[in-house]
Amino acid sequence: MSETGHGGKEIKERIMEPSEAAKRIKGLTEVPIRSQIANEVIDISYGFFTPLEGFMGKADVDSVCKNMKLADGTVWSIPILFDLSEGEVADYGVKEGVSLLLTYGGNPMAIFEVEEIFDYDKKAMCQDVYGTDEDKHPGCARTYEYKDKFIGGKITLVNRPKINPPYDPYFIPPLEMRKAFKEKGWERVVAHQTRNVPHTGHEWLMKGAWFQSYAELTIEKPLVGVLVNAIIGAKRKGDYIDEAIILTQDELRKSGYFGDHNHLTSLTFWDMRYAGPREAIFHAMLRTNLGLSHHMYGRDHAGVGTYYGAYDAHHLLASVQDDLDITPVYSMNWLFCPHCGEITSEGLCNHRDEWQKFSGTLIRSIVQDGVKPPRLIFRPEVFDLVLECADKYGFGSPFVTDEYLEKRIPVFEIPPM
Amino acid sequence: MAKGKYPINIWVNEERYEKLQKAGLSGMCEEMLAGLKVIRVYANDPQRDKILKVFPTAKFDSATTKSIELLPRDVKDKIFSVVIDKESVDILDDFLSAY
Repeated sequence: MSETGHGGKEIKERIMEPSEAAKRIKGLTEVPIRSQIANEVIDISYGFFTPLEGFMGKADVDSVCKNMKLADGTVWSIPILFDLSEGEVADYGVKEGVSLLLTYGGNPMAIFEVEEIFDYDKKAMCQDVYGTDEDKHPGCARTYEYKDKFIGGKITLVNRPKINPPYDPYFIPPLEMRKAFKEKGWERVVAHQTRNVPHTGHEWLMKGAWFQSYAELTIEKPLVGVLVNAIIGAKRKGDYIDEAIILTQDELRKSGYFGDHNHLTSLTFWDMRYAGPREAIFHAMLRTNLGLSHHMYGRDHAGVGTYYGAYDAHHLLASVQDDLDITPVYSMNWLFCPHCGEITSEGLCNHRDEWQKFSGTLIRSIVQDGVKPPRLIFRPEVFDLVLECADKYGFGSPFVTDEYLEKRIPVFEIPPM
Repeated sequence: MAKGKYPINIWVNEERYEKLQKAGLSGMCEEMLAGLKVIRVYANDPQRDKILKVFPTAKFDSATTKSIELLPRDVKDKIFSVVIDKESVDILDDFLSAY
């Protein structure tokens, strides 16, 4: 039975059988790609980006920038671009109608059928997508780093990525994810977008969203799950290391704060653009393709600095809700109230003068000071695992350092064919 | 120093607590977040701006806690030492004069 993804389009994996792939890649010009593009090749090929079948052509890019829709009218918020320099276009003989072999780490990854080569005004793109053209916005900075020629065309994976431990159990592409949800008997699944090690504020965001999503469903058997979908991509110094993020999220289930009946951890490869409201729409599309029915959104979703208002993402979501197949679940902040002696929601508790708010940044600061936070704030199993990850994967630090960036275990590799 | 608006939270681990006790300053600790001990050193606007400039990993958590976080641990250790020496949390001018 076919599976329907974002925009009502069928989710189809674009992956060639190995025997056919070996024949088809013969004689193709090899073009090496960087990690961002490799991430997006995986996202396109496995259907995370349904209905996209490849990198965007100019009509789609223009429509996405100006109207937040693909040229065919399907909502889409962030351009998905393949870039080359003018010199590379000439050197590789890139022209319309040609097929290229994209390689990653020196090995064949995907066939790229070139349909179009075009220019685009990057400054205008930034203004449309990010609401600013300042290069200190990380999404704009990434846009300005693109080379000057954009290439549109279809992608077909010829060689599946090898996902390295400890990430391998968490790579669950859309068709597989939908099967997993059916096996669990979940009628509704709510997405928790994260790039963080969870503190109890996050835990309660998930629990609150679970309650909200459960709503009128019957309670005789578990019908609702939380999917933690960690975004794995480019890292900045000072972030938690990826291993700590993915393993501690799953630790909440393993340690019983959730269970198999209501919690699953997974990852998506994507370099965050910090596009705030537009990234919120992007997350809705992505998680629709993964088979989710609901999506959590808090304050300043996927924002950065002071570029976006706290609820801009909610307003933009509301403006296209009829074109999305996922229901947003809006979450208020959770905090510690010493009077209640518990984690509570700012929408519930009225001991306002006693509230003790905490954030991921504050918890990072505590961990950095070598202090074990109380279990009401940060689960001891999570804390212990953070330290274990620091030793095992982080060269002594749970946070990204230069050494980690240089020597870390790659999340995936493309094996030789 | 004008009592500023932006705390730097020096989280008190066992080692720091021992030093505070030895100096007879353990009463300086406040309790936050379900019993976690902390010493709060306050920065005013210019001090906050200087800290963020001098220590680029530091972050002002403008959304939630309004505090200055993610100073490197050795920097916090130095601030903590000055607090012990001066027996006061009003020490940022002294501390920042070296930078």
